[in-house]
Amino acid sequence: MDPTSYDVLIIGGGLAGIRAAIAVAETNPRLKIGMVSKVYPMRSHTVSAEGGAAAVLSKDDSYDTHAFDTIKGSDYLADQDVVEAFVREAPLEVVQMEHWGCPWSRNADGTVAVRPFGGMTTWRTVFAADKSGFHMLHTVFQTSLKYDQIHRHDEAFVTKLLVENSRCVGVTAIDVRSGQMYAITAKATILATGGLGRIYAFTTNGNICTGDGMALAYRAGVPLKDMEMVQFHPTGLPFTGILITEAVRGEGGYLLNNQGERFLKRYVPNKMELGPRDIISRAMTTEFEEGRGFEGPHGKYMHLDVRHLGEATIDRRLPFMRELGREFVGIDIVKDPIPVRPVMHYMMGGVDADISGATLMKGLYAAGECANVGLNGANRLGSNSLSECLVFGAAAGRAAAEQVGSLAAAGANPIEAMLKDETKRVEGGFLDKKGGDERIAEIREDMQHSMDEGAGVYRTKEGLTELTRRLDGFRERFERIKIDDSSRVFNTELTAAIELGFMLDCAVAVAHSALAREESRGAHARRDFPERNDEKYLKHTIAHHTEAGPRLEYRDVTLGKFEPKARAY
Amino acid sequence: MTATKRITIKATRFDPDKDEKPRLQTYEIPFSDDSMVVLDALNYIKGHVDGSLSYRWSCRMGICGSCGMMVDGVPKLTCNAFLRDHWPRPITVEPLNNFPVIRDLVIDMDDFMHKLKAIKPWVIRKQPVPLGGGAFVQTTAQIDEFRQFSQCINCMLCYAACPVYGLNNEFLGPAAIALARRYNVDSRDEGLGQRLPVLADAEGVWECSFVGECSVVCPKGVDPAKAIQQTKLDTTMRFVLPFGNRD
Amino acid sequence: MPRGWWTRRSNYFWYIVREFTSLPLALWLLWFLLEIRRAQDGPSGYHPHSSLGFVIFSVIVLLFALYHSVTFLSLAGAILHFNVADRPIPSQLIVLSQFAAWAAASVVVGFVLIYFAR
Repeated sequence: MDPTSYDVLIIGGGLAGIRAAIAVAETNPRLKIGMVSKVYPMRSHTVSAEGGAAAVLSKDDSYDTHAFDTIKGSDYLADQDVVEAFVREAPLEVVQMEHWGCPWSRNADGTVAVRPFGGMTTWRTVFAADKSGFHMLHTVFQTSLKYDQIHRHDEAFVTKLLVENSRCVGVTAIDVRSGQMYAITAKATILATGGLGRIYAFTTNGNICTGDGMALAYRAGVPLKDMEMVQFHPTGLPFTGILITEAVRGEGGYLLNNQGERFLKRYVPNKMELGPRDIISRAMTTEFEEGRGFEGPHGKYMHLDVRHLGEATIDRRLPFMRELGREFVGIDIVKDPIPVRPVMHYMMGGVDADISGATLMKGLYAAGECANVGLNGANRLGSNSLSECLVFGAAAGRAAAEQVGSLAAAGANPIEAMLKDETKRVEGGFLDKKGGDERIAEIREDMQHSMDEGAGVYRTKEGLTELTRRLDGFRERFERIKIDDSSRVFNTELTAAIELGFMLDCAVAVAHSALAREESRGAHARRDFPERNDEKYLKHTIAHHTEAGPRLEYRDVTLGKFEPKARAY
Repeated sequence: MTATKRITIKATRFDPDKDEKPRLQTYEIPFSDDSMVVLDALNYIKGHVDGSLSYRWSCRMGICGSCGMMVDGVPKLTCNAFLRDHWPRPITVEPLNNFPVIRDLVIDMDDFMHKLKAIKPWVIRKQPVPLGGGAFVQTTAQIDEFRQFSQCINCMLCYAACPVYGLNNEFLGPAAIALARRYNVDSRDEGLGQRLPVLADAEGVWECSFVGECSVVCPKGVDPAKAIQQTKLDTTMRFVLPFGNRD
Repeated sequence: MPRGWWTRRSNYFWYIVREFTSLPLALWLLWFLLEIRRAQDGPSGYHPHSSLGFVIFSVIVLLFALYHSVTFLSLAGAILHFNVADRPIPSQLIVLSQFAAWAAASVVVGFVLIYFAR
C-alpha cells in the first residue's frame, strides 16, 4: 500500500478526526484512509475534556429543548438547521460510543447516567466520571485499531494544503522523526486539528492547540467564521490554567467571592452556578474589578466549593478533580475550596464549513473545534463540544467517503513541484535561515499576553486596535526569527516556529473579527457596545485571508423556529 | 520580591546525526515560582536558553501521557514533578529507560503501539449488536471490575520501570496487558478467547516475574502487576478447565 | 540495561533477592531428597546430618522459604477476585484467608508427621 496516497486523508487524531476515519471505513470499506497527526492520537487534546457529552436520552427530555438551549446559549448566532440536525444525531453517537466500550457512568439500574450542565434546562450530559474526554478519546482510538484500512502517520506535521485547480488534493508534511518533507495526496481531506488556545497565555489548552488546521485552510483561501467568538471558562486553576470541570458545579459546587457569597445571584439568579460560561466569566471579572475576589500570587481568584458534597460523591463523580487538586495545587477538595478564575478554553469560530463539514474548497472538509459548522454561535454550551466532535466528525467522514467515489486522484507532476516549493520554504525560511535575532518563545509569549489583554473576557475598540497593531509587529518580528536547532531529527523548534506562524495568522483573524463586530453577543463582550444588535450583527463574520490582513464579510444566520429574544437566565 | 532562586537541570542531549552516544548537558535556570515543575524548567530552557532541546509534552495536567521522563532515575510525568521537591539539589532529566532514544529526551515507542494493537483493545462481540437496541445495561459494580485498568494513559512509565521489559523487549509489557484485561473483564466484551493466545504466548504474561515496580510508578493508580497475575490465572484456568471458560 | 540496575531501587533489589533465594532453596531440597533416600532402610542405619553448619544453612533456607511464601500468598490478594452479592471481597481478607489456610495446612502436616512418627 502506497503510504503517500489515499482516498480520504484526515488531519488530526483527536475525537473528531478518529470518528471521521471510522465513519469513512464504515461507509465504504474499500477506501484507503490516511490519518496524519502531529502527536500520537491518544495525546490529542480531547484527552483533557472532563465534564461530558450532551445528548437527549431520557424520556423527559426533547430534541426541541436541547436545540433551544443550544441556540439561546449561542446568543442566536447558531444556524438553527445545523442545531436541529445535531440534537437528533447526538444520542445515536453516544450509544455508539457505549457499544465501542466507553465507560459511561451509570444509574443504579445500569442505564447510562446524565448530569446537569451549564445552560442546559435539563439533565442531559452523559459522562465518564470527570475524565469523559480521556475515555472517549481512548475508546475511539483503540476501536480505530481494528480497521486495517486506516493507515496512521503519527508525529507527522502538516505544513500546507496542496491545492490544484481550486481543489484540495492533499498536504505536505514533515515526518518529525526523520525531518523528511513529503507529500500525501488524497481525493478528499478532512481537517480535524482542534483548537487554538495557545494564542492566549492563560488557557486550558495543551501545547499542541495551535490552530494549525484553521491557518492551513485560511492560507489556502478558505475563510474563517466567527473568529471573535472565544470562550472563557469560569473555572481554571490559577498559574497552570488547568481546567476544573463545569461538572463540579453540575454536581452542586458553589462559586464564592471573598465575602463567602454566592455572587451569581446578582447575575444569573435563576441558574446560579449552572449559568452559561460567558455570563459567569463576565460576572467573575466584574466581581474582581469591584474588589470581591481573593488575591493570590497568581492573580485574583474565586472559591469553587464542593465540601458540602461529601467525600463519597466527590470520589465517585469527581475523582480527577480531587487528583488535580492534590497533585497540582496541594489541596484536598473534600476539605478545601478550589481557587479558580476565568481561563481561555474554547474557540467557537473556525474553518467555515457547512452541515456536512464541507468547506468552500472542493475536496476539503473540517470537523471538531477547528471547524465552525454553525453549531455554537457566540457561546458554546458546556458538553456540546464532545458531542459535536462525534456528530460532525462522523458527518464529514460520510460526506467525504461518498464524494471520493466520483473523483479522480491528483496528478503526480504538480504535486512534485508543490512539494519542492514547500520544502524550499520550510528549509530556507526556517532551518537554513541565517541572521535572525528573534527568539520564537519571546514572540510567542508577547503574542499570548497581548491576546489576554486585548481580546479577553471584555473588549474595547482601543484595546482591539492596539492588539491589531501589536500583532502586525509580531508578524514583522516573526520574519526575523532565529532557530538554534539545525538538526533534522525530531526538531521541535522547527515545528514550534511553524506553529507560531499558524497562531499569528489565527490571532490576527480573531482581533480583526472582534474589532469589526460592534455589539456584545455571547462570548464577545464589548464595553463600548454593551448591547446585542440583531439588526446589524445577526450575522456570521467571514474572514478571508489577504496579504494585507483579513478581509471581512458577513453572512446571515440561518434562523428557524426560535425567534431571537433577549437572553436572560 | 526576594532574589530569584536558581536550580540546575542536567538534561540528556543526543542527536543521532552528530553524537555517538548521549551526554548530559547542564543548565542553570531561575526557579521563580514554587509551583514550577520539571516540565516548566525544560520549557524555560527551550524558550530562553537553548531552543534545540527536544522533548514531548502537551496537556501539562497529567492526562495526555506525553511527558514521561526519568527524573533523578525514576520514571515520572515531568508535568507533576515539582522543582521544590529537589531544590537546591540539581535535577537529572533523562529519556525513559528501556526504549531506543530518537533524540534528546524523546523515546521511540512504536513497539508499544504494535503491542497495543496486538491485544485487540476494542469490544469484541460474537454477533454485531445493532445501535437501535440502545446502550448495554452495565452496573457500577460491573464497571468497577475494569475501571482502574481503563485509566491507563499510555505514558510508558511502567515499561521504563520494568526490568523484564528492559532485558527482553519482546515482552508484551505492563500497560498492554492491563489494557487487555480492561476489555477481558468488561461485561460487554466477548473477546477473551481471541486475546488469550497473545497473552498466553511465551512473551506474554508468563514472562512477568512480578517485580511489581510497574504498579509503583503508575501515575494513574493502575495496577498492571495485578492485571498480569490475574491474566495468568485466566490462561491457567483455560488450560485446566477446557469447558469452564467463558469466551 | 546496565549491570548494576538491580541495586538502583529497593524494589528491584528485593526482587533480585527473592529470585536468588530459589538457588539455596533448591540445593536444600536436593539434600532433603538425598536424606529421604538414606532413610529408606529404616531407623536403625539412619543418622541424620546434624553439623552446626548444616543447621545454620537450614535456618537461613527456612527464612528464604518464608519470604517466598509470604510474597506468594500476599499476591493472592491481587490475583484472586471473588464477588459476594455483587461486591468484591476486599483483597486484605483474601490475603488473610491465604495465611490462615497456610497455618492450618502447617498444623495438619505437623500433626501427621509427629503423630505417625511415634
